Amino acid sequence: MSNNKLTVVDREGATHDLEWEPDQSMMEALRDNDLPVLASCGGTASCATCHVFLEQEVFDTLEDRSEDELELLVEAEGYRECGSRLSCQVGFSRDLNGVTVTLAPEE
Amino acid sequence: MRSGTGAAVTIQDPVVIIGAGHSGVAVATGLRSRGWEGGVLLIDAENGLPYERPPLSKELLKEGAPDESAVLRKEKFYADKGIARLAGVTAESIDRDGRTVLLSDGTRQAYHRLVIATGSRARPLTVPGAGLPGVRSLRTRDDALELKRLLVPGARVAIIGAGYIGLEVAAAAAAKGCEVTVLEFQDRVMSRVTSAPVSRHFEQLHGRHGVRFVFGAAVTSIDGGERAERVTVAGGTNFPADVVLAGIGVLPNEELAADAGLECRDGILVDGHGRTSNPAVYASGDVTRFTSPIDGASQRLECIQNALAQADRVAAHITGQAAAEPEIPWFWTVQHGVRLQTAGVRHPEDQAIVRGETSGGKFSVVYLREGRLAAVDTIANLADFRTAKRLIAQGARIDPALAADPGIPLTEATSGTPNHSDADLAAARS
Repeated sequence: MSNNKLTVVDREGATHDLEWEPDQSMMEALRDNDLPVLASCGGTASCATCHVFLEQEVFDTLEDRSEDELELLVEAEGYRECGSRLSCQVGFSRDLNGVTVTLAPEE
Repeated sequence: MRSGTGAAVTIQDPVVIIGAGHSGVAVATGLRSRGWEGGVLLIDAENGLPYERPPLSKELLKEGAPDESAVLRKEKFYADKGIARLAGVTAESIDRDGRTVLLSDGTRQAYHRLVIATGSRARPLTVPGAGLPGVRSLRTRDDALELKRLLVPGARVAIIGAGYIGLEVAAAAAAKGCEVTVLEFQDRVMSRVTSAPVSRHFEQLHGRHGVRFVFGAAVTSIDGGERAERVTVAGGTNFPADVVLAGIGVLPNEELAADAGLECRDGILVDGHGRTSNPAVYASGDVTRFTSPIDGASQRLECIQNALAQADRVAAHITGQAAAEPEIPWFWTVQHGVRLQTAGVRHPEDQAIVRGETSGGKFSVVYLREGRLAAVDTIANLADFRTAKRLIAQGARIDPALAADPGIPLTEATSGTPNHSDADLAAARS
């Protein structure tokens, strides 16, 4: 399977185009490309340091957030009901090729 | 101190990182993401790629789970980032004046800066019989895989110590149909890290899954012929066991540093930048002892959060950059699918206030110190976790009556304003 393209808007508003490899979660793609995503729980939906915003039409195509993920997000800075995700919980999918994600503000 | 990131400076020798757990790997990646252009050499005592440790006592032990733990970074990542690795190699000694480290493969490696991230090891049982086959501890991937093989249906498993590791293994063993007895010297589970209401909740949870607890149990020996067969406690009672797991805490792997004359006191002493008593040597993660920037306590923290945060401070200092603001330390454990997540470090004398009905399975306990939120335990209640962590960082004063009402968000249970807090504190102390 070939890589996805991913466009990332960082916290300063700068955009970065990166390769998202099929065996990476979205968080891993961000982190491994040096974006400032701490992911301090290692991708287990225990913190919210990998919080991102997706465009609503992309968000709507994904499966529902788990209870743990939602609880963490609701309290996070800048939470968007139809857009906030923990990127560690977003797996690789061809449907996500070319999407744009925005890093949520740091706490 | 010169950190040497100026364009005119060329640094011949690499930053050498000893230890490739979460903290060592995070120093390496942090140096690169902060633009370090010199060499980076990661020395790993274990073979294979550095891996995640939290799953070793949780997911990895489950029936049908793959015999592997997720790697921290893929092999290609290290190559792409110019992070050299030596696997299956340990550091034997440090020559501080010559700035070299002697490795177990007989080579001597020069360093520009040295980072000791050797972590901790399981505290060994010292009672007679502790060396018998069947007596295990859990720290590494190999430990976990060996334990997993021993946890077969019907096996009698005696767990010494009711801390995170002991209880996570108890849950995994019970789920696999083992007969589990937990022997704990104190009078409740997780007594070092949490309050009685949380202990009771988890004792009941384990009880419903068939785990038996024996409190006030001082293990005096492990007996058996060719293998461990029973555990004897003070008073003479013994418990038959095919498998014995000791989960009695950890010891910092500080000997390398101590032998090199670096200051150690149950942990390598470091400052807020991770510097040891030698300016070219840093330490990071479980192996360190430092003064909390939050409450001034001398502490050694055993958690991923600290492993990563300290690594970032080391990487920042080596590259001459500013580090992130100190974060409130946090911890988690999952037992029988129930998540206990803690922010802050509770003191036994803190005022504990339960939010919600413990019988409902979803509640929090907030801990107040001189009226301020100091720590929180949340049980299946991550919303409180996030809010409380922020309030702890702010030094928020909390109204105990409001905090006891789970219907009131913690943000609305604050009293006074942080602006008044210093004066309040001074008044409280006078």
